[in-house]
Amino acid sequence: METLTALILIFIGAALINNFVLHYFVGICPFLGVSRRVDTAFGMGCAVTFVISISTLLNWTFTHFILRPGAPLPAWVWQSLGGSAQTQIDLSVLSYIIYIFVIASSVQFVEMYVRRFFPPLYKSFGVFLPLITTNCAILFASLEVLKHMQDSTELWGLPQALALALGGGIGFTLAIALMAGIREELDLCDVPRALRGAGIALIVAGIMAMAFMGFTGVEKGVETALGSLLR
Amino acid sequence: MPTTTVALALAAAVLGLLAIAMGFVLGWASRKFHVAADPRVELLQAALPGANCGGCGYVGCSEYAGALAEGDTTVGLCAPGGGDCAQKLADILGVEVTESCPYRAVVHCSAHRDQRLQRADYDGERTCVSANLVAGVQGCTYGCLGFGDCAQACKYGAIEIVGGLSTINYEKCVGCGACSRVCPRNIITLVPFKAERMMVVACSNADAAADVRAVCEVGCIGCKACARVAPELVTMGGALPQINYDLYNPEESEALESVLEKCPRKRYLFVGRPTAEDLAAVADEELPEAVTADFKTTVDDTEWRG
Repeated sequence: METLTALILIFIGAALINNFVLHYFVGICPFLGVSRRVDTAFGMGCAVTFVISISTLLNWTFTHFILRPGAPLPAWVWQSLGGSAQTQIDLSVLSYIIYIFVIASSVQFVEMYVRRFFPPLYKSFGVFLPLITTNCAILFASLEVLKHMQDSTELWGLPQALALALGGGIGFTLAIALMAGIREELDLCDVPRALRGAGIALIVAGIMAMAFMGFTGVEKGVETALGSLLR
Repeated sequence: MPTTTVALALAAAVLGLLAIAMGFVLGWASRKFHVAADPRVELLQAALPGANCGGCGYVGCSEYAGALAEGDTTVGLCAPGGGDCAQKLADILGVEVTESCPYRAVVHCSAHRDQRLQRADYDGERTCVSANLVAGVQGCTYGCLGFGDCAQACKYGAIEIVGGLSTINYEKCVGCGACSRVCPRNIITLVPFKAERMMVVACSNADAAADVRAVCEVGCIGCKACARVAPELVTMGGALPQINYDLYNPEESEALESVLEKCPRKRYLFVGRPTAEDLAAVADEELPEAVTADFKTTVDDTEWRG
């Protein structure tokens, strides 16, 4: 039960309390660029959720077996070369380059796969999938997971990593869809000329970020509620 | 062996192997999941002007090219490209250019500001879309509001507001339909221009005669005189006549003239580019002096109403 509570807390934490866009300010480019209409914004959000889950899955695998301190593969190589079992080999310096590499190639792969087998999905995702390759929210999710895998006291497994990725993706979808809804209404408003376009969008984003600060501290209440619910 | 050396070698090996593995997977996938794309699509796309105006009814030029390659549509739909473009597309597809008449926007209202009655002062935002939300800006709930949303939407600078009525410059109009999409009253339509000048119904008011007279000096009163003279060409949609452009033949000028003459409110207009005869007819008339901008009054203080 404790694990389940922890998973739900990670999920809610990534989606609402520490929303990727509105708390960490990652993934701002699509947040401002593709938020003119609600339906395209929602499509972008879904595509990001999809890619973030897949790339976090792959990156967790690489981190767990190769990159983290004390990972099995480097340890095996080190010991078969005659090294002592006490020394740990830490390859986590490679995290950035490997994560970017994995994200880019998995997006490529997913694009080809979807194009071949789900043409309608490809049509609706089409434009956004390649854009996501350089979306920093995706890299951020993998780096957050890495943080929790570097010291072995509280080692994250695959469920925790996926809960974070899914929560982050859904939080991104929520933020970008809300933003698009506000911007659709803004088109009808009398915005001062100097603030039109990016100016008012950034102000709106800032106000939204402040509003999302209201979720701070919710985790305590959620934890208590879940504790009594799942007992 | 020192740890650093092993770590370095491992890093290099991991990256190298990963690169090889990913390259192999992607190369395999690109062949395995290959989708046979029609090579004509690229050619078609190159032949289209790339304005992405949406005038053909598709989202952008690439989608129109795709639909052409699939044979879902005809080549003559690209308004900015015109006849040359249709010919190029037809050459690529190996088909004949069917009759391609360009579509041009037509404003179905012809009342200038002082001809519209029951107007009230409107101090809100100077856009049609806002003014349309307010009752009583003008008596006619169908006609042009004259705040120029269409002129703003026009990428080709073909619309001007003349005397409170949006007026289309047919030298510049390419028929993309951007204006008809933004008009909150839906009074701009695209009409197939079978000739340089086309007859159109220049009113959108579908109310009964007394109501039209109360709000407009020139609006169509729905007397059906036109439909009696040319029952095939003109059909009545409620109290408003509609020209059937499928049957419209610019050569039969007599039929058109009879409709034009019969209308008691003179709501049939010829719009389009002036012909040589028209220009000759007004050649000796004196044109009014060109109006130049008065820079003291062009500072726009109507935008900000904070």
